[in-house]
Amino acid sequence: MKGLLKNDFLSVYANAKVFSVFLALFGVFVVAVASESLLIGYGLVAMVGFSVNAIGVSKNQAASQWGKYKLTLPVRRADIVKSLFINQALWLLAGTLFAGTGLGLSWLLHGCPFYQAIDSLSLFSLGISMSLFMGAIFFPLFYFWGDERSEVSLVLSFLGAFALDWALISAINHLLGTGTYAILAGLAILLSCSLGAFCLSCPLTVGIFRRKEY
Amino acid sequence: MDNILELQQVSKRFPRSDFALEDVTFSLPYGAVMGFVGENGAGKTTTIGCILNTIRKDKGTVKLFGREMQDKDTDIREKIGVVYDGSNFPSYWNPRQLAQVMDGLYTSWDGSLFQKYLEDFHLPEGQKIKHYSKGMAMKLAIAAALSHHPQLLVLDEATSGLDPIMRDEMLDVFLTFIQEEEHSILLSSHITSDLEKIADHITFIHRGRLLMTASKNDLAYHYGVMRCRENQFRALAPEDILAYRKRDLQIDVLVRDKKEAERKYKDVVIDHVSVDEIMLLLVKGEQV
Repeated sequence: MKGLLKNDFLSVYANAKVFSVFLALFGVFVVAVASESLLIGYGLVAMVGFSVNAIGVSKNQAASQWGKYKLTLPVRRADIVKSLFINQALWLLAGTLFAGTGLGLSWLLHGCPFYQAIDSLSLFSLGISMSLFMGAIFFPLFYFWGDERSEVSLVLSFLGAFALDWALISAINHLLGTGTYAILAGLAILLSCSLGAFCLSCPLTVGIFRRKEY
Repeated sequence: MDNILELQQVSKRFPRSDFALEDVTFSLPYGAVMGFVGENGAGKTTTIGCILNTIRKDKGTVKLFGREMQDKDTDIREKIGVVYDGSNFPSYWNPRQLAQVMDGLYTSWDGSLFQKYLEDFHLPEGQKIKHYSKGMAMKLAIAAALSHHPQLLVLDEATSGLDPIMRDEMLDVFLTFIQEEEHSILLSSHITSDLEKIADHITFIHRGRLLMTASKNDLAYHYGVMRCRENQFRALAPEDILAYRKRDLQIDVLVRDKKEAERKYKDVVIDHVSVDEIMLLLVKGEQV
């Protein structure tokens, strides 16, 4: 598993480096300007962007014989899939740290950037939930359709994650109403659903991968 | 003699392409090199896929080190080194990064041995693989395949993209590897001269079917090709003819027992037969 995680990390690393520079510059601008909408955009771009980078690993590796070669290594197919999910979770953590740093600095310099403090939690919940849903949709699709349709899988996973979050938030708002506790409960539901989907997607992807031939 | 690899009636059908591997049976003993010969599309890669479990066979058994390898049998894969034709590793890596990954994958990864191969093969370790020539990329794949001390090397057209000098260099590396009596190599290739240099056994495959599997000594000393005229050909006993091919003024006939044929057909010229010629006769020729 250690080697697989290194492999996934190295596959994301070059893109992530460029993306980190972009985020650092964007972050400086966002902190300086102190705009609520820019800060929301920055947070979501950081979290979802790193996840997209991590998802791109599959495509990068499929471009050579490496995808097939990995099957001849002393690892199980389930480990190959698990490493991809763990890799995405780790890069999501990196994105969350970037978003947290931007938000923290803005808060420190200009005070709470949102209408109420709890909105910052909503921002993180939305970013994390979207990223987890994306991974949960992308990986099974990627192994089912193969790398030749990876762009379609990526677009569908992004749209699917957006639609799921939108539908969940609408349903939660409708069912729980407003108020601090309702918002907190809603965020917990949002995170639980996306985390559940992410965790369930892993064995589903393993099942699909086990049937694939290379 | 014990076998490191055994295939028994391995079959695999691809309904969409109409290609099928049918009842492929052969075995590779410990300490031997098996040349796996066939034209492009004959089924060599499919057979290797069935051996390495990258393709699920429809029927038959494949035994590696005496066991059928399942997905969970990582201990078996620890003992196998694989080289595919083309780019084996992501092109944006360099050998140093490759070594880091391999070190985390193989318990027996030998970093200093890998380093030695990089030096011997003149491969710059800081350079990205995408800047390597095809020959360099292939050398790197061979270095990686050897650096975890495998017992079995599976090489799928691993020498086909190399120039003759590099091929010769790599064949020397394989010959060194095979010095250990527990080591074996399965080398698929359509370059028969490579196999003549290093193979102990040769298996011919054509359109998914095994045509012949024999030791190289057997092929060299017992098999022969008769150069017959039309009337001489007509006088041959059908059971002596393995395959024949009509050429302009003569008919070449592949026979299993050269000495016996010399005794039986005194007026016919019988030559030693090369692997290339056997392949041509078996693939392009006709059977009686």
